[in-house]
Amino acid sequence: MTDIRVPQDAAAEDEPPLAFPEDGRDAAEASTAADDAGAGPAAGWGWFRWAWRQLTSMRTALVLLFLLALGSVPGSILPQQGQDPAAVQNYFNSHPALAPWLNHLGLFNTFAAPWFAAIYLLLFASLVGCVVPRTFRLVGPRRGRIWSTPPPRAPRNLGRLPHSASYAVPLPPAQAVAAAAAILRGKRFRLRHPAGDEAGGWVSAEKGYLREAGNLLFHLALLGVLVSVAIGGLFGYKADKLIVEGQTFSDTLTALDEFHPGRLVTGSDLAPFQLTLTQFSASYYTSGESRGQPSSFDARVRYSSSPGATARPYDIRINQPLNVDSVKVYLIGHGYAPEFTVTDATGKVVYDEAKPFIPANTGTFLSDGVVKVLDAAPEQLGFIGVFVPTGVTVGGTLDSAFPAPYNPAVSLLGYAGDLGMNSGVAQSVYQLDTSAMTKITSRPFLLQPGQSFTLPGGRGKITFTGYRQWVSLAVTYDPGQVPALICGMLALAGLLLSFLVRRRRVFVRAVPAAGDGERSVVTVGGLARTDASGGFEDEFTDLVAQLKAAHEDPTLPSSEQGNSGERPLGESGA
Amino acid sequence: MVGDGTVRLEITRKRRTIVGVAVVAAVLLAVGLAVTLTNGSGRATEVTHVDGNPSAVLYAAGHRAPVPDFSGTTLTGTKVNFAGYRGKVVVLNFWGSWCGPCRSEGPTLAALSAKYQGSGVSFLGVDVHDSPANAAAFEQDAGIKYPSMNDPGYAVALTLGNTVPISGTPTTVVVDPTGHVAGAVFGPVTYSVLNSILTKVTA
Repeated sequence: MTDIRVPQDAAAEDEPPLAFPEDGRDAAEASTAADDAGAGPAAGWGWFRWAWRQLTSMRTALVLLFLLALGSVPGSILPQQGQDPAAVQNYFNSHPALAPWLNHLGLFNTFAAPWFAAIYLLLFASLVGCVVPRTFRLVGPRRGRIWSTPPPRAPRNLGRLPHSASYAVPLPPAQAVAAAAAILRGKRFRLRHPAGDEAGGWVSAEKGYLREAGNLLFHLALLGVLVSVAIGGLFGYKADKLIVEGQTFSDTLTALDEFHPGRLVTGSDLAPFQLTLTQFSASYYTSGESRGQPSSFDARVRYSSSPGATARPYDIRINQPLNVDSVKVYLIGHGYAPEFTVTDATGKVVYDEAKPFIPANTGTFLSDGVVKVLDAAPEQLGFIGVFVPTGVTVGGTLDSAFPAPYNPAVSLLGYAGDLGMNSGVAQSVYQLDTSAMTKITSRPFLLQPGQSFTLPGGRGKITFTGYRQWVSLAVTYDPGQVPALICGMLALAGLLLSFLVRRRRVFVRAVPAAGDGERSVVTVGGLARTDASGGFEDEFTDLVAQLKAAHEDPTLPSSEQGNSGERPLGESGA
Repeated sequence: MVGDGTVRLEITRKRRTIVGVAVVAAVLLAVGLAVTLTNGSGRATEVTHVDGNPSAVLYAAGHRAPVPDFSGTTLTGTKVNFAGYRGKVVVLNFWGSWCGPCRSEGPTLAALSAKYQGSGVSFLGVDVHDSPANAAAFEQDAGIKYPSMNDPGYAVALTLGNTVPISGTPTTVVVDPTGHVAGAVFGPVTYSVLNSILTKVTA
């Protein structure tokens, strides 16, 4: 390196300045390929290395990510066993030929299917295989890592770089280069600055390593999301519970209507809280286009986090769940529970309960339900009922005109006989098995709050004493939720960082001006590997202007700035 | 640069080590997970099944969990304190008048409570998720004379917590005179199974 006018042959010694070999996955692949070449004929190990390299390649990871997205599609299109078993049964009934095939493929339990797990685990392995070596390269303690690899040597002909500028300065070459190095160091470039000689000198500078850090952060955060989801699936649970105003429920296995535990969850892992529904209210729009649509829900509860702990009030609303010991209690449904009192033939009160009815029409809350009087004498009694919050009679049929209780009423059809409950077989509390019963009322009878109906044959009477409201609550514990959110945000931050930060290199060469050793000609070359957001040209122009200014007036403070900066890496300036 | 080749070789060797470390870590993770997954089934307690019935269990002395104290009111309004039963064998039956299997085992419990009256065995029902009127009507029908706590909110099951896993109704827990769980029947009891448990616990 004695003369810049020496053409291409000497330049071969230089690393090509256009390549940024330390960057990203490509580098990992390239160097693994190099490993392979040296691995020799150990065939088994070679195949393993080949498979590992395929798995950890960027392309495979993208294909797996795409497959994961594709694999989730049936999970959102087809009914899922875990969420809605009844809907799966319906699907079987309506598609008797297709459903068994879909079932064989696990499409009714997509997220637990082996093929889905395979995609998930392969993606996980691919990410780990890519990210771990790269992390070591970025933050590893040894020489040769990205941070400590000096920029390549300055190319001979800086004028061939995408950005270049040249100007004369009133300084000898060595001083001109040293001044440039100081400025670049002050701008937190990493430098390679060998001692100059009589003929001239150069400095290489590189910046933008945060791009790789951001990219890596993105990958690590993506891994974090996968792990968080897995943690949620293993240690989380979901349960449903319906309670009527005034009722209490304890978060214990026997009290829950449905319980869907994660793989590593048992009943004893439930948070031992207790919750009482004091009042539920729903507001509806009474006019305009959205008349009858709900405007707000409010479930007032009192809860204690463990038996004997002080009870505290809370209002559960939509998107405002109760949080107790990191278990969340969501409001997922509501309805009416008409209250009945039944007196049997002996004059004794044998039934006094608010019975939840299930909305058949979620617009008007016309609701269906049954009443089972199991201990009436002489025979058991059963009623099939319809509750309407705002009762109207349309063409002789009872209907509900509005979801709010402006004119509540029930219509009941009575049966007597054997309800089939004493056989010990569990049956639905929402259905009446009338196979061993006889109808005791020829047609439905209508009751308003406070009204009674005397049952024929001296069987006693039933009174509609009023109504309460019920809510269904989802009790969920997902320990992966917060980590997933944090990882998601980190992934976004990493992505932004890797998009906004450019890796760029700047080279400065100085040669003695013709016939004057105290003056020199400075050439500045610039190169950005990734310039998606543009802007390197402006940065380069500014930089050249600053270098020029410093060179013309070496006493400017900007040239001092660099001396207080970090210790330069690579060969240090003279 | 002369040093470049050496540096690259060093990186290569290092990367091979890293890949090795990653593979070992992944295998360890998988093994750990497998161990955790299978570990749940092995319980250290001495448990025997009664008459080959998998849902009826007896716990050997020394492997009996203490029942935490609880209190409340009965369906007829009397105050109950579980600690007051110390010194007697207690049959604690979780039930509800709405629960079919509970209704079918009612007469059996009534008969056994009559049989063991005067043998130092007390029966105590825990009526869950029920209305007192419905429950009283059922007790009268089934001929049940022993008291039942009114527990609509499952507070007793919550207090018992991990002592006995009460996963549904009916569940029957037999407590020994020192207040420890001696046996349990998950699901409806039969005369012979509960009789056999009581014979052993009172012996």
